[in-house]
Amino acid sequence: MSFPEDDRIAANVAQWTKTNREFTDRDAERKWQDPQIYWGEFGTRDAWLGDVTGLDVVELGAGTAYFSAKLARAGARPVAVDPTPAQLQTARRMQQATGLDFPLVEAPAESVPLPDASFDLAISEYGASLWADPERWLAEAARLLRPGGRLLFLTMSTLAHLCTPDEDDQPIVNRLVRPLFAPWETRWEGYAGAEFHLSHGDWIRLLRANGFAIDALHELQAPPEAKTHEYYLVIPAEWARRWPGEDLWECTKR
Amino acid sequence: MHEEVDSITANIADWTAANEEHTDASAEKAWRHPGILWGVFAIPEEQVRALPESVDGLDVVELGCGTAYFGSWLQRRGARVTGVDPTPAQLRTARRMMSATGIRFPLVEAPGESVPLPDASFDLAVSEYGASLWADPYKWVPEAARLLRPGGLLVFLTNSTLMYLAAPDDADAQVGTELLRSMFGMYRMQWEGATGIEYHLAHGDWIKLLRENGFEIEALHELRPQPGAVDPTYYDFVTVEWAEKWPAEEIWVARKT
Repeated sequence: MSFPEDDRIAANVAQWTKTNREFTDRDAERKWQDPQIYWGEFGTRDAWLGDVTGLDVVELGAGTAYFSAKLARAGARPVAVDPTPAQLQTARRMQQATGLDFPLVEAPAESVPLPDASFDLAISEYGASLWADPERWLAEAARLLRPGGRLLFLTMSTLAHLCTPDEDDQPIVNRLVRPLFAPWETRWEGYAGAEFHLSHGDWIRLLRANGFAIDALHELQAPPEAKTHEYYLVIPAEWARRWPGEDLWECTKR
Repeated sequence: MHEEVDSITANIADWTAANEEHTDASAEKAWRHPGILWGVFAIPEEQVRALPESVDGLDVVELGCGTAYFGSWLQRRGARVTGVDPTPAQLRTARRMMSATGIRFPLVEAPGESVPLPDASFDLAVSEYGASLWADPYKWVPEAARLLRPGGLLVFLTNSTLMYLAAPDDADAQVGTELLRSMFGMYRMQWEGATGIEYHLAHGDWIKLLRENGFEIEALHELRPQPGAVDPTYYDFVTVEWAEKWPAEEIWVARKT
């Protein structure tokens, strides 16, 4: 028996298997070797994470697990969760190359085979935050966190989504081209995967419903020297200097 | 003061003119309306659910009450309302409506930035196109925090961030789809041809400011007109067609901890 959710997860696995072949596998080396923690495509550096020494961290939609690797270097105990075997293979190769060892779990963020209340910090950086069903993965994040644990997730900004043309591979424009009052799940022509884009009001409602307090919404601005990403072309640096291309939500589990 | 023009003085002038042009004449209909309505598309509170289920017995302060129709709706539901506004003409209209309807509550002539009322004396602070748009948020939000008791609720409606980004400079023009100004640094805004001065913050900045003043974020209601809504006639900066796709107005709900 097959469920629409299984089909969607399978589609995202297929998409990320392709992306891994095209880009993330070869990009992993650079990201794993760089100890600096930064957010998003334009490398915003800030202290939002705070000191992670000794924290149990789960990364939801870890991909090649470079973010977990950086957290491990900073003294955290990460567990990286991702549904795409090809990306986890890359992560394993990098673990051998760097000697940074931490558990890798093959699972979608909608259903994580890890125990309740076992983490201090849940992270998703362009992971579950964009490609998993928010009703499901936020419930999982809430379940996995201890009371007082924090959730930080970065995704494409709501505004950038509203300015994304339908045509595949077209960069975002300085114009509202799709409604905010629309279904969250979005599929693109020529792209296998499914994304979820929520309004800020809907994120707040879902986070609150899952027992999170909203600590901050960081609307990221590309720094003056930032350049458009070599592979992820959808958000031009010039656009992201005037409007946030990425939103970073910071919340606490009560 | 580093500001070139004092927005309180400018906004009193603006609202004195608006009162003469529109709000004095429309006060009767607004005060007599049996329901609580939100924004230019008159969306019923029953649909939005931004306010507490019952306001009966609550001490309520309305910041930037104008002709105080919103306060009158809450007073009629058992709240003990105090209306605060800096524009004498608007408060005169409110007083006339109090005499006409018999619904009476205190009116205080003051801007949202500096309210001559005691600390921790209200359960609910509301602002519906009041301080929320025309007072400096870095001054009125701390005032709201000061006026509320612990556990008190702040509910305010203002124009959406998307409206701010896509509205042409000309005060009389309608909002379109092009992003006309950067979101970074959005704050104080005077539209071309306008007397008044508005304040607009990005969502992240609202959350930061509310948190810094001891509020917990409860909700952001991004308003969508009801089926059958009609284009606004006086506040005609937006059409139903636009607002069907994007929120022109939003309501923040935050609780004082």
